[in-house]
Amino acid sequence: MSSLAIEVKDLAKTFKGHLSIGRIHALRGVDLAVPTGVIYGFLGPNGAGKTTTLKVMAGLLKPDRGEAKLLGVPVGEKRARERIGFLPETPYFYDYLTGAELLMFFGRLHGLGKAALAEKVPALLRIVGLEGKGDLPLRKYSKGMLQRVGLAQALINEPELIILDEPMSGLDPIGRREIRDLILSLRAEGKTVFFSSHILADAEMICDEVAILASGRVVSQGSLEKLLSGEVRFWDVSLSGWSAEAPLAIGQVVTRHDGQLLVRVQLEDDVQTLLDAARSAGARILAVTPHKASLEDLFMSQIPGGAK
Amino acid sequence: MTTTPKGLSLGWAQTRALAANTFRESVRSRVFYILMAFAVAMLLFSAVMSLLTIGSRAKIIIDLGLTVTSFITVMTAIFVGIGLIYTEVEKKTIYNVLSKPLGRAQFIIGRYIGMMAVLAVNLFAMLALLGLLLLLFKGFTWKIFAAGGFIYLELAILTAIALFFSSVTSPVISAICTMAFYIVGHTSSALLESLAPRISGPLGKKAAVWFFHLLPDLNVLNVTNLISYDIPIAHGFTARAIIYTAAYVTLLLTAACMAFSRRDLV
Repeated sequence: MSSLAIEVKDLAKTFKGHLSIGRIHALRGVDLAVPTGVIYGFLGPNGAGKTTTLKVMAGLLKPDRGEAKLLGVPVGEKRARERIGFLPETPYFYDYLTGAELLMFFGRLHGLGKAALAEKVPALLRIVGLEGKGDLPLRKYSKGMLQRVGLAQALINEPELIILDEPMSGLDPIGRREIRDLILSLRAEGKTVFFSSHILADAEMICDEVAILASGRVVSQGSLEKLLSGEVRFWDVSLSGWSAEAPLAIGQVVTRHDGQLLVRVQLEDDVQTLLDAARSAGARILAVTPHKASLEDLFMSQIPGGAK
Repeated sequence: MTTTPKGLSLGWAQTRALAANTFRESVRSRVFYILMAFAVAMLLFSAVMSLLTIGSRAKIIIDLGLTVTSFITVMTAIFVGIGLIYTEVEKKTIYNVLSKPLGRAQFIIGRYIGMMAVLAVNLFAMLALLGLLLLLFKGFTWKIFAAGGFIYLELAILTAIALFFSSVTSPVISAICTMAFYIVGHTSSALLESLAPRISGPLGKKAAVWFFHLLPDLNVLNVTNLISYDIPIAHGFTARAIIYTAAYVTLLLTAACMAFSRRDLV
């Protein structure tokens, strides 16, 4: 059995351009290695190729070059889709069905019988926060509710690998937190969750590993711990009662308001020097905040035009 | 623990689920009921017409009734059929379906079976109403259901044509092409008869005959005249019609499955 949940090698895909003129290179040789049992964030700006990669994984697109395996089985084979759950970006469903009917339908496509579905459907609706809404037609669902029922259908077969395209899209902050909690609980059950997102804060909160995709290529991938080295990039020192009007010799004043100063210092030694100077000037030290590299910093440094 | 069916059994369960969903989609759409209401109105109109004409009332009701039944169900087959695959792709509902462990051919077959079930209900409802009208005018014959069987065979071919085009092109082009096949299907044998003598050379004649065989010959399924003149339908005629339909539908569905399997769902 493969220890990798997803294995992608040199995946390339081109599309015809507008009016069939020219070619658009959506993927230019994507490599991915996603271990089992982790939450993996697939990040990138719009048009980077995230959805195209996910569609190849779901068997909706055929790559021009390269290969992809899900749980050791080549994508495109039915077996590869037996053990996965997939949620496309902004899912569209049959609006003439109710939420419960939709889950029943997808359950049957996985070969589940009536008795099994009678238990599973209400349980899944409860998990995704749609308890009591199963009998409503989908045309009456809000965008957030559709996203939730989409997640429920992705879990109907108790998959080992769950692939989600922008799962937090369209959700309010409470909904986003609930989905984050759900993803964390799936990992606790030993499942692998692979999701694409451009909401970096969500990814930073829950991902074990990430890959950053830009212009159809993976520009960075690995564990968040490793990618964000943990080094402090700068400190913010908040002071009050600093009477001196002269510019500071060290650090840079970020704000000056109501007798309070916020000073940004780059080196750890300079923090101490600034604090000593503040004390001798009779100022009060309100806070010293170290700032480590964030996923957003890493992201901006990796994508073209992001470092500007 | 739940056990899930494997192999053929799973394949059939999935296809049945797709067919049932297609059926539900149609019977929950307004268009279905508008068409049914139109059909009822047309059938009642044929009964009124019979009162205004000279001759056998029952024969007129059968003639008009079967024509209306055939026309309405054919229009349903064509105009619903052309959206069977295209709408799924356009509305992106297909992404979720095809990410499940089923083949694209199963999707095509499931949609086809579902549509044929819708047409069966449609057709049966219209024939039942026609039967009631005939009972009322004391001219009931079970043969209208035999005629219904032949209409259903025609619907099977036309739905397969519409579905084939739906899997490769847009609804407008699909509608034009399917309508063209429908018209040619009812005129191809007459066209061949009138054109064949004018084609010079044996090679040209052979090519014309081959081309004729490629096009559907829907006249082999038309029994309205036989029913209204109470002429018995020979078993050989029925068998030939069934075999012809089965062969043509198989060919079209295979082509649709092959074309759709290669398609990228962007």
